[in-house]
Amino acid sequence: MEVTMALFITKRLLMALATVLVVAVLAFLLVHAMPGSPGAVSLGAGASQDAIDQLNQQLGWNDPLFAQFFHWLGEAVQGNLGASLIDGRSISADLADRLPVTASLAAGATVLSAVLGIALGVTAAVRGGLLDQVIGGFVGLLVALPAFWVGVLFVYLFAVQSSVFPATGYVPFEVSPQDWALSLALPVITLAVGGAAFIARQTRASMLEALQQEHIRTLRATATPTWKILYVHALRYASLPIVAGIALQFIGLFGGSVIAEQLFAMPGLGQAVQTSVSTHDAPAVQGVVVIATVVVVAVNLVLELATKFLDPKLRAS
Amino acid sequence: MIPTVAPTRADQTERTTAAAANARSAGKAAIAKFSRHRLLTSPGAVTGIVWLAALVIASLTAPLWLPFKTEDQDFTAVLSGPTAAHWLGTDELGRDILSRIFAAAAGTLGTSLLTVIVGVALGTVLAMLSAGAGERTEGAISRGTEIMMSLPGTVIILAVIGAVGTNIPVVMAILGILMSAGIYRVILGQAKSLQSQLYVDAAKVDGSSPLGISVRHVLPGLANTIVVQAALIFAVGMLIQAGLAFIGFGPPIPQPSWGGMIQGASQHVYDAPWMMVPTGAVLALTVLSANAIGNALGKAPNASAPHLPSAAARRQRAKAVAAIASAAPSDRSAKAHEAKGTLSVRNLSVGVDSAGPGKGVPLVTDVSFDVQPGTVLGLVGESGCGKTMTALSLLGLLPSGVSVTGGQILWNGKNLAATTDKDMEAVRGREIALISQEPMRALDPMFTVGYQLNATLRRLRGMGRAEARNEARNLLEKVGIVDAERILKTYPHQISGGMAQRVAIALALSGRPRLLVADEPTTALDVTVQAEILSLLRALVKDTGMSVVMVTHDLGVVADICDQVAVMYAGQVVENGRTEKILDNPRHPYTLALLAADPHANHAHAMPERLASISGQVPQPKDWPSGCRFAARCQFAGSACTDPVPLLPSGTGEGLVRCVKADQLAVEGMDWLATDVPASQVLGIAPKQATIIGKDLA
Repeated sequence: MEVTMALFITKRLLMALATVLVVAVLAFLLVHAMPGSPGAVSLGAGASQDAIDQLNQQLGWNDPLFAQFFHWLGEAVQGNLGASLIDGRSISADLADRLPVTASLAAGATVLSAVLGIALGVTAAVRGGLLDQVIGGFVGLLVALPAFWVGVLFVYLFAVQSSVFPATGYVPFEVSPQDWALSLALPVITLAVGGAAFIARQTRASMLEALQQEHIRTLRATATPTWKILYVHALRYASLPIVAGIALQFIGLFGGSVIAEQLFAMPGLGQAVQTSVSTHDAPAVQGVVVIATVVVVAVNLVLELATKFLDPKLRAS
Repeated sequence: MIPTVAPTRADQTERTTAAAANARSAGKAAIAKFSRHRLLTSPGAVTGIVWLAALVIASLTAPLWLPFKTEDQDFTAVLSGPTAAHWLGTDELGRDILSRIFAAAAGTLGTSLLTVIVGVALGTVLAMLSAGAGERTEGAISRGTEIMMSLPGTVIILAVIGAVGTNIPVVMAILGILMSAGIYRVILGQAKSLQSQLYVDAAKVDGSSPLGISVRHVLPGLANTIVVQAALIFAVGMLIQAGLAFIGFGPPIPQPSWGGMIQGASQHVYDAPWMMVPTGAVLALTVLSANAIGNALGKAPNASAPHLPSAAARRQRAKAVAAIASAAPSDRSAKAHEAKGTLSVRNLSVGVDSAGPGKGVPLVTDVSFDVQPGTVLGLVGESGCGKTMTALSLLGLLPSGVSVTGGQILWNGKNLAATTDKDMEAVRGREIALISQEPMRALDPMFTVGYQLNATLRRLRGMGRAEARNEARNLLEKVGIVDAERILKTYPHQISGGMAQRVAIALALSGRPRLLVADEPTTALDVTVQAEILSLLRALVKDTGMSVVMVTHDLGVVADICDQVAVMYAGQVVENGRTEKILDNPRHPYTLALLAADPHANHAHAMPERLASISGQVPQPKDWPSGCRFAARCQFAGSACTDPVPLLPSGTGEGLVRCVKADQLAVEGMDWLATDVPASQVLGIAPKQATIIGKDLA
């Protein structure tokens, strides 16, 4: 038993490492395909060609590609992602400031969509009939509504019409936990709308599949109360695909935070990608892509292990 | 922002079976016809198709009819709401929103289509390659797609934009590559299932090339899934494209795009909130349309019914039960004196509910039998004769959409057919218990054997924790499990089928029932294990004095364990009586045929050179004739068989038989012949050919 689990974890860890490496190479190549050399970007439009060439030489831009990559990788594993071409600030430090913002957003949105989605999905599967159809229609609508549009609507409703929540901005947790929660509310809800709809669909389908299993009939034949069949046995059976769905959702929401951050002026990773792409800040783009991948892959790994732990077949074999 | 389109497990299996069925009935035309049919029956999908078509036409013809050019600025009406001149209002530069929405439509739809084409084509090709080219290729491709699926897609796309700029077609094509991993995962399972079909093996034996097989035999079966995925990806593509435009990575500035327009509107949410309505609505409608088409096509044609009906279905069932109760007021006076533990089924009918598909079709009609305490009744017949439905109705556990439509199930004089689900909970487990065909699936895979037994004992016998644990071990020992202590700690997947059936029997016994309903308890087991389970059941009947209703198609099981037999055919009892009478002296041609077709049941004769068969199949419930339902397959059928046949005394003891020719056959002493004449009639092949085939076999 321990051997299988250990082997499984080792395999997954290697996969995760491979994923990050692939992305690192990909990001490196993409950044090199960006228009303009780092010298040109850094010095701006008015710089002389000589100054640009000199800076490029200094930054190692003319070294062979693989040398540049391994140099970057060597620094990166020590936590140094280089300096921004635009303002020279440390990219590692900048991202370390931004990560909590995006992490709060994505985690909050994932938790909220899991709670709402499971509640909606279970209700639809268990109640059936008209309520199932109403929830189905509602969820279908939510899936189709673009997150940014929903976000604007929320701003209109809760910040413009009634100023319950601040429309934009982010307050760090250390400054004021209460304001932190308030500043996260609208972006989290905005992101959670689509996520909840996705998880609701997954949950409904998984619950229905669970209820089609023959052991449900055995439970009924031994007079198991309905609530116990539904919320202990069927939900337990359905939990595997639901958790897998939540893991997928986290990936989507982590990326989706780009939009929420733009809309609500949150200083997170998404905003960093957007600005650094717009300004052709190559090392910043490279750094943020890799960091985002590391976070997503790590969270995914944890959730996947959780899924496997929920499955007696893998846990006990 | 990139929603990962992953299939739910239920969807996948349903789609797989649907696709396999599709491919079997073969032909692209048939599939297309089927799809078209399903599309047209869904109002959402029809609306979606109409909307998308209208949008494309309106967009392509836009220069001809649009009242304004996209760049026309009307400074007299800046940020205006809907007016006669500007039907959907204007933006901050006084540009007509309607004109800009439709001018942007073609580009949005077209580039989203690019994502679809790239993603679906790549995903499908990879899936077919994986399915066809063996495990190593599949492993490599699957590993690669796993990596792709665990990437933050949005961030990658933004980095791509950094490299190639806001070249929307290129960006959308790369998005297609990123999304192909999800599509691959959806299609792979189905492609593998199709690849393992017998006709694919046949094609391989015929020497078809792997490519030929993939294109000719696998691809058509995938068509429906591919279209479904295409529709869903189309929707996702549009959302992502709009999202990119929203954060400033759309088409260059003066050119309109839906996302860009919503971005513009978001700047004016304080002073002109109307502006975000038209574009948002059009975008949402378009996405809804694509989703509706995908969902209509992807809907599984016949998902199996849940074993625990939804609350709505339970309310429906309660109504049916109430109707039964009022239709047949229980005449307690007559039945109350019945001995405890007596089951008496009277004119039981079971049918499909009138609300659902296949409405009102009867599945079981006019079934009557009695089970005395301590005896075993066998319900015998081919598949599809209503045996299991009859058995499940005894516990009130008919699948949802099916219910008792008439008659009585008298247990200790109480009519179970008219008992509410709530009240049945007092009967289930404690008085009537169930064991089913597939023991592995009858046990909950997520809980240990010990947990399942303990919980049941505590519930049904009101035991404490420690007492239940002791009793669980006792029960397992009683059903012949030697290392009970170890088995209690295992999960169902860790024990063998025979062991699982013993556990299932222990579970059924835990409420000390007086009647055990056993639905083909040995069918799924090895022959040696079958004999063990049967002798266990026989011993239990002897020790506990409980009675058993045994559903089986195996006459050997009947001879082995049953005191009484009811032979069922097409939802009716065609013959019943004492086991030895029926086995030695069958009166109904169907019983005769079943015995003649069983190599072991022919005790009277030596093993015949050729076994008899019953040509044709049990008719579908909707095709049941008003006369004898077996007539179409009967060697002795005559003109008298077209009239309804009553169940009459068979002349052997208290037995009953449903055949107008029973007496005549008994007098003439006819045998069910191992002939091929009826077979040729049913299969429609010339008798001459059939004889040749027969000779070859002999």
